[in-house]
Amino acid sequence: MKKVVIGVIAAVAVIGWLGIGLLIARGPQPEVILPAEIITRVGPLNISNTLITAWMSMAFLIVLSLVATRGMRLLPSGVQNFVEAVIEFLLDQVEQVAGTVNGRRFFAAVATFFLFIIVSNWMGLLPIFNAIGKTEDVGAEIFHEIVLHAEEGKPFEEDEHFSAWFMENAGGFAITKPGGEAVEFEIPAGTSAGEALDRYIVFLAESFTDFERHGGEEHGAPTAEEVRAALEALEADPEAPKLLLAEVGEEGEHADAEAEGGHGEAGHGVESPALGVVVAGVDFPGQKLALVIPVFRSTFSDVNNTFALGICSFILVEFWGLQSLGLGYLRKFFNFSNPVLTFVGFLELISEFIRIVSFAFRLFGNIFAGEVLILMLTYLMPFLLVDIIYGLELFVGFIQAAVFALLTLVFAVMAVEHHDEEHEGEHTSEQHAASHGGLAHT
Amino acid sequence: MGRWLAPAAYLTGIGWYFATCIILGVALGHWADGRTGLEPIFTLLGALAGLGLALYGGVRMLISFLARYGGGDQGESRR
Repeated sequence: MKKVVIGVIAAVAVIGWLGIGLLIARGPQPEVILPAEIITRVGPLNISNTLITAWMSMAFLIVLSLVATRGMRLLPSGVQNFVEAVIEFLLDQVEQVAGTVNGRRFFAAVATFFLFIIVSNWMGLLPIFNAIGKTEDVGAEIFHEIVLHAEEGKPFEEDEHFSAWFMENAGGFAITKPGGEAVEFEIPAGTSAGEALDRYIVFLAESFTDFERHGGEEHGAPTAEEVRAALEALEADPEAPKLLLAEVGEEGEHADAEAEGGHGEAGHGVESPALGVVVAGVDFPGQKLALVIPVFRSTFSDVNNTFALGICSFILVEFWGLQSLGLGYLRKFFNFSNPVLTFVGFLELISEFIRIVSFAFRLFGNIFAGEVLILMLTYLMPFLLVDIIYGLELFVGFIQAAVFALLTLVFAVMAVEHHDEEHEGEHTSEQHAASHGGLAHT
Repeated sequence: MGRWLAPAAYLTGIGWYFATCIILGVALGHWADGRTGLEPIFTLLGALAGLGLALYGGVRMLISFLARYGGGDQGESRR
C-alpha cells in the first residue's frame, strides 16, 4: 500500500513538473547554427561568441589561480585547498601514465588542456549561454539578399535557407523568450531575384496574415494571382509587413521609401514579375522576423577552437619527441632502409595528422551535440528530461576534458619512448638472427 | 577513479581514430570523384585506404595500450 502511495505521488510529481515546464518554461523552437556567430569585428579580426567564452574561461582560471596562490599556507584551506586537491589529482593521474620524470615534464601542458576544456564545457551549461544575445533582423536580411542578386542579375546558385522567430524588436539585445515558434523561408537554387521576391511576399502573407495558398505545390513557385492576393492580405492587416513600392526608373519614389523608415535599399529595388512593380523595401510595423544571436556559446561547440587545441596538442607532442630523441625522432616517419619501413613511416606520418582531426571532431561533436540536445529538449520537454540531460552533459564535459588531456599525454609518452622500443625491437631481432645463425652453424 | 579513467580515455581515442580515418578516406575519395567524374572509384579507394590506415593505427595503439595497461595475465593476477 505504502509503495503504491509513493508511486502515485512520484507519478503526479513527474507529470506536474512536466506540465509546469510546458506551461511556463518552454524554450523557443531552436535554430541550430553550426558556425560560431560573429558578434563584433575589431579591425580584421572577427570576435565570435565562442571566442568570447574562451576568454571568459581563461579569465576564470587566471583569477582562480591568483586567488588560490595569494597568501598560501602550509595547511591549506578554502580555495587553496580546493585547487591543491585538483592539481594533486591531476598530477597523480599524469604520473601513473607517464612515470615521475616524464609526468612532471608533461604535466603543465596536459593539466592546462584538462582545466581549460572542463571549465569551458561546464561554463557552457550556465543558463546565460544561448539565451542572451543581439537580435538579427532576418526580415531585412532576406530582402537584402534578394536585392544583391537582383543587382548582379544572377539567380540563386544554392538553396538559401532562413529561419527566424516572431519578435517585437530587431537590432538590439534580447533574452530568448519562452514558447517562440520558428518560421522558415527557403529560396531554391536557380530562382531569379524577382521570383524570390514573389516567394517572399507570399511567405510574409502566410506568416503574418490568414492568407493561404490554394492548390498547387506548397513549395512550388507562386502564381501571379497568389502573389497579388498575398499583397492584398498584407495591405489589409495594419500589423502585417508592408511593401514599399516604387515605379520603375523613378528615383523620387525610392527616396520616399527611404523616408518612411523601412528597410529599403538606397536607390535600389527588385521588380516583382507577378505584380509588375519595383519593391524598394519591406517595413515591419508590428512584429519582426528576427533571431537571437547568442553572445555566449560553449567554446568547444565551434570546430575552429577544437582544431586550434588539436594543433596545439600535435605541436607539443612533436616538440617533446624531438626534444627527447633529437632528429632521430624523425626516423619513425622517414625510414628509407627498406620499402616496408618506408611505407610504415608514411602511415605513421598520416596517422600523426589524423590525430589532429580526431581530437578536433571528438570534442566538437560531443559538445555541439550536447548543446543541441539541451536546446531541443528545452523546447520539447522542459524541466523533466532537460534536468537529466544536464547531469549527463556535466559528465560528458568532464570525460571529454579527461580524454583530450590523457590522449595528449599518451601520445607524448609514445613519442618519447618510441626510439627505445624500436631499439629493443632491433635488438631482439638481432638476437633472433644470431640465434638462428647459431642454429645454422650447429 | 584513476584506475579506469586513463584506459577508458585511451580506448575512446582509438574508437575515434578508427572513425576519423574511415570518414576522412571516404570524404577525400568523394571529393576526388567529384573532380574527376570517376564515381565511385575514388570513394571506394578512399574507403579502403581509410580502413587500412585505421587498422594499422588502431593495432599499433592497441599494442601500446596492452603494453601499458597489461594483458589478460596481469588482469588475472590482480584479481
